[in-house]
Amino acid sequence: MNRKYELVYLVSPDASDDQVAELHTEVNDIVQRLGGQIEKTDNWGRRRLAYEIGRHKEATYVLEAINGSGDVLKEIDRRLKVSDLVIRHLIVRVDEDQNVIERTRTKRGEASRRRRIVRGLPPERQPGEGQRGEQDDDRDDRFDMTEDRR
Amino acid sequence: MNGRKTFGGGGAGAGGGRGRAGQTQQGKDGKDGQRRPMFRRRKVCKFCADKIDDINYKDAKLLLPFVPERAKILPRRISGTCALHQRKLRVAIMRARVLALIPYTAE
Repeated sequence: MNRKYELVYLVSPDASDDQVAELHTEVNDIVQRLGGQIEKTDNWGRRRLAYEIGRHKEATYVLEAINGSGDVLKEIDRRLKVSDLVIRHLIVRVDEDQNVIERTRTKRGEASRRRRIVRGLPPERQPGEGQRGEQDDDRDDRFDMTEDRR
Repeated sequence: MNGRKTFGGGGAGAGGGRGRAGQTQQGKDGKDGQRRPMFRRRKVCKFCADKIDDINYKDAKLLLPFVPERAKILPRRISGTCALHQRKLRVAIMRARVLALIPYTAE
């Protein structure tokens, strides 16, 4: 039974780039050995932590999207717990959530298309139509503590 | 139903002292009597309004407005988030906290 998971781990800031790469290959080896695959790797680079973990104030974040069975993730979890370099990690199963998101998106799209046809408009949205800034948001999701709107 | 809605009949909402203060002022403005002294914007769920389907734990910028100052999760009654999205928001916030993307508490 293959499922989709996301693994995020925080590597201690003392670790060199080589060590971060080494961790990635280590994870990759486990995934390969147990018959899964890594779909995507994303290194977010060094970020400030929202709170101190141990004595660390920043860490390197690495995200891996993994396709595999629960055993793969179980083994990775065990290994990362033991590792000294990894100060925190999180494994989340994402396939079901993604399905739900996909479904609501298509449903909304269909509903809008139907409504537009009823109103005698072309089914797809024309460029420049609708509220400004709805599509073009600059997704700069860097963590920024100063932002605290109420 | 609850006194927070803009058009929720003036007397019904047990809006504390404010409701009573309004009664004296009401003569000023004869607009169908549905005007309330303290104007409250009707709250809408941010996620419904902006059509954000995916409340993702990685998106700290999205979550931060919902954990003000003390870093507690903002209750629904204040933010106006709908029940479905508040549940998803809660999970996302808890995950983001584990990854130190947003704080558990203000120090």
